[in-house]
Amino acid sequence: MKTILFDASLCNGCYGCQMACKDEHCGNDWSPIAAEQPTTGQFWCKVEQTTRGKIPEVKVQYAPVMCGHCENAACMEAATDGAVYRREDGLVIIDPVKAKGQKAIADACPAGVVYYNEALDLPQKCTGCAHLLDDGWTVPRCVDVCATGALKVVDEEDVPEKAVPMPAAAELHPHVYYVNVPKRWVYGVLVDRTINEVVIGATVKLVDAEGVEVASVVTDEFGEFRFKELEEKAYTVTASIEGYEDVALAADTTAEDVVLGDIFLSAVA
Amino acid sequence: MKTSDKTIYKNMSLCSFGNGANLTAVDSKDGKIVRMRPVHYDEHYTKEDLNYWTINAKGHTFEPGMKTLNSPFTFIYKTRTYSPNRIPFPLKRVDWDPNGERNPQNRGKSKFERISWDEATDIIASEIVRIDETYGRNSIFCQGDGHGETGSIHGPHGTMANLLDMTGGLTMQARQPDSWEGWYWGAKHAWGNEPLGQNTHQHNLFKDISENSDAVLFWGCDPETTPWGWSGQQASRLCFWFTEIGVKQIHIAPDVNYANAVHSDMWIPVLPNTDAALQLAIAYVWMTEGTFDKDYVETHTEGFDWFEYYVLGNEDGVPKTPEWAEEKCHVPAYRIKALARYWAKHNVSIGHCNGGSYIRSCYSHEPARLEVYLLAMQAVGKPGRNQVKFIEWALIGMDSFNPLPPGNFLPEVRACYHGSVLGELPASFIPKTLVPQCITVEPGEKVEWYGHTTSRHHRTDQFKKFQFPQDGDHGIKMIWSDSPCWSTCWNGGNEFQDALLNPNLEFFLVEHPWMENDTLFADLILPISTTLELDDFGVDTYSGQFNSIIWEQKACDRQHESLSDYEAVLEVAKKLEKYGGVYEDCASHLSGDMTVEEWQEVGYQGSGLPEEEQDLELIKKQGYQMLPTREGWEQEPAGMIEFYEDPENNPMETPTGKIEFYSTGLANFFPDDMERQPVAKWIEESESHQERISCERAKDYPFLLVSNHPRWRIHANFDDCPWTREIETCKVVGIDGYAYEPVWIHPTDAAKLGIENGDIVEVFNERGTVLGGAYITERVIPGAVLQDHGAETDPIVTGVGGIDRGGANNLIAPSKTSSKNAAGEVTGGFLVGVRKCDIHALMEQYPEAFEAEHYTIETGTNVYDYLQEA
Repeated sequence: MKTILFDASLCNGCYGCQMACKDEHCGNDWSPIAAEQPTTGQFWCKVEQTTRGKIPEVKVQYAPVMCGHCENAACMEAATDGAVYRREDGLVIIDPVKAKGQKAIADACPAGVVYYNEALDLPQKCTGCAHLLDDGWTVPRCVDVCATGALKVVDEEDVPEKAVPMPAAAELHPHVYYVNVPKRWVYGVLVDRTINEVVIGATVKLVDAEGVEVASVVTDEFGEFRFKELEEKAYTVTASIEGYEDVALAADTTAEDVVLGDIFLSAVA
Repeated sequence: MKTSDKTIYKNMSLCSFGNGANLTAVDSKDGKIVRMRPVHYDEHYTKEDLNYWTINAKGHTFEPGMKTLNSPFTFIYKTRTYSPNRIPFPLKRVDWDPNGERNPQNRGKSKFERISWDEATDIIASEIVRIDETYGRNSIFCQGDGHGETGSIHGPHGTMANLLDMTGGLTMQARQPDSWEGWYWGAKHAWGNEPLGQNTHQHNLFKDISENSDAVLFWGCDPETTPWGWSGQQASRLCFWFTEIGVKQIHIAPDVNYANAVHSDMWIPVLPNTDAALQLAIAYVWMTEGTFDKDYVETHTEGFDWFEYYVLGNEDGVPKTPEWAEEKCHVPAYRIKALARYWAKHNVSIGHCNGGSYIRSCYSHEPARLEVYLLAMQAVGKPGRNQVKFIEWALIGMDSFNPLPPGNFLPEVRACYHGSVLGELPASFIPKTLVPQCITVEPGEKVEWYGHTTSRHHRTDQFKKFQFPQDGDHGIKMIWSDSPCWSTCWNGGNEFQDALLNPNLEFFLVEHPWMENDTLFADLILPISTTLELDDFGVDTYSGQFNSIIWEQKACDRQHESLSDYEAVLEVAKKLEKYGGVYEDCASHLSGDMTVEEWQEVGYQGSGLPEEEQDLELIKKQGYQMLPTREGWEQEPAGMIEFYEDPENNPMETPTGKIEFYSTGLANFFPDDMERQPVAKWIEESESHQERISCERAKDYPFLLVSNHPRWRIHANFDDCPWTREIETCKVVGIDGYAYEPVWIHPTDAAKLGIENGDIVEVFNERGTVLGGAYITERVIPGAVLQDHGAETDPIVTGVGGIDRGGANNLIAPSKTSSKNAAGEVTGGFLVGVRKCDIHALMEQYPEAFEAEHYTIETGTNVYDYLQEA
């Protein structure tokens, strides 16, 4: 079926997808596909932001979390009376009449993207803009407004191999995939503070807990080194530079990216 | 299912003076707006029709795309039209009686009552006539410029000035170059580049950078924020493109702004408004290591030896070394050297997006001029070495502002435009930065300044002296504003609030759609329609794809009793006609006795579109008409290449025709100005400003405030939008259930201050206090705090020393201008203290300020809290 492919390397974090989704569904009743969404509080397309790193290497990672219209939809299993059904095009729809009062439908979703509308007594979620597709549109609002191409609709067989199912519902075979989300990284700068110079062209190595060299880079014109696409592991950064004491610094990426910052080298006595 | 029954087209930029961007489709159903969405050009046009352009570099291709690249503000605009804070009907302050007590001291305090349009326009006409007869027309002061919607026929700004001008005159507010201060007051004196002082030779610069640059320095520049209101998201796509082709993006700023956060290859954190020190140290490295282009300096510039003398320390005994700079700007000396050497070895361009503490703080002319010096030392104009803008790609209707492939011509709205034209000023005018001083000027005294101060005026205009009031005039008796955001967007808003209480000011009239900011201080308020309720005529020339002409139609019915600015002024004109004399037929003169549809036709016919390409039936039906890219654009000279190759025949607009390290104009006219000397320098502190961390004041106010153009607003617009307000970086909800403007604080500073994430905090100095919500983050350098400007004012105590709950930090910005003889605003990079706020103590002390019943976290303040209960 049609699948949403999110390319993190093209997302600028504008929240346009999240807000256009609200433009479409808040205050607009698209029954029998969906009842009105409340003005605030529900995020059928929810942009999550994570700040990574520390001064002076800080990045913000954005990712939209949305309904996966999952192959093994937990909401469908939780529903009674056929209140959640799958259309021929694969979209999973909560029937706004039959689902009334069925809070279990909202509770079942591991991604937390089925909301419960207390005022209407109704579970609600993304419809894939089924009402628009039925009216001739080819993509949902979130994809239509994306200016950078970070959100695309593709056929599931065209999802690139390196893409991963949306982590929030990975077990249920969601039809939302992520690609190019940066894995862990380590950053630092080699500096001789006694003469106020960065150290350029020095070889810096990344070694894992078993002492195996994982990567090796040379510091650039700013004395900087960056190790990217790392696993979540306890690494060590080492450098042997003539005239200076050897460097060996812990760089444990288990919980977060590591910014070693400006590393002041000590001259050999 | 029917998902809409009507689609109309709009330009959704907020450029305000007729120029437009963000072509948008608006769908409605049963008279209600259902959605706003991008326009797909291929509905009506082929790539061939558009003469579709591409930029090819390093084996990659950049394409403009076949759909509009709207900013997210486009998709939420209906919440502004349907905002609960819309002013529903004309309002009069309850204790303002035009025939009795006017109670000026109660402006901003007392409530409002409903009156009819008929009553309101009667009062306005009679006040205009009375003030004219009693004091003369120069006592009516019009604020009719910028920071609002873009319209043409409905002239969102300055229509009233046209009415007053044709019936006897007025005093006009001169909108100074508020986003370009340093360029205007400084860089123009170094390299001309009229009229703004930013590089106006931008043709083909994105092609040039793609082909030739190794790096772009984003110096205080956020292509993911500032362009949203003007040109949409092409700037963002260009940053991704630079990543794709390996153009290094280096961000120099106190904060990880939104572009830095996703695009940067490197960030150099610098304390706010200390860039001049960093720049001087870079020059020092180049001078001492001999790594600048001496031949170019010899042939293309004037006065380098003056600059060299200063930088090397011969003038003041202080060499401007990287170690010297480190202490000022907190960029380590080793990083300054590395940057200087990288720059000397590679092709480097500098990118800008306006705003921020780099270009609108104290002495902003200095970093601006120093940037020009550095560019000149590395042969600016050489391929890959230029200054480029990521915004305003057709500013002032200048084709040469466009660094992307341009359209075959620049369409314009002038033929049907009813607003004020920036730069066209009557004899009596006031620079926007000096309004509080001019409202409060004592009889017999004058406020003096240099220049007309608008972004349309030539460098030499800065040498002319002006004053207010004119001889024999009586100061400001009436203000008529259609841009009521002075307090939240200009310099020293608390002084402005105080000035509005001046007894000399008899009548303060505001036209506005929403109850916010200066509107709270009005005596009479006219409710104005938003653009989605109006038929109009527009263009899209800023988007960086293709130009278009737009036959704008209304998407919904008028909300409440609102009229457009143009219609409101016409209603006043009709009442004035009854007085005869100069007022005879003034409404007819203003409207030309034409309907809006007739004006739309005039606009279309006068847009510049060749007659043979005009097709009224088509544009009425289709809603917009696309214009193709100019033939042969690839061959047009890139940036300042002509000056680079032949300076004699392609001179800059300076007295010498060269880039002036020593500004000969400033030397002639202001030889004793220590704040803006002929050569740009580091000014520690001076008569006008004490805003450095080295100053005595810094003991009480130790932080420098970063106050950027806001991410989730366009200046003061959009603070009532529920869908932005629930975004993490938009508002921080305090323990009292109020949504505060975030204050970014570095974790080390927060720990010292005992502040935790989500705490309500006070940002303060002797000019007052604004509240905010603590957002503790690595995205700001220690020693600086960040709070975007433009939050909606919500006064607890008004005026100097006051307290603002909304977090409108311009209220506590210095009221002194950039420097003594430069009338720019200082709205960032100034000293503040930060402390945890005891909100309950404030509630006890000022209970009446916490009584709002209609306030919601979703949409903020509400007009009904300002109305007297019937």
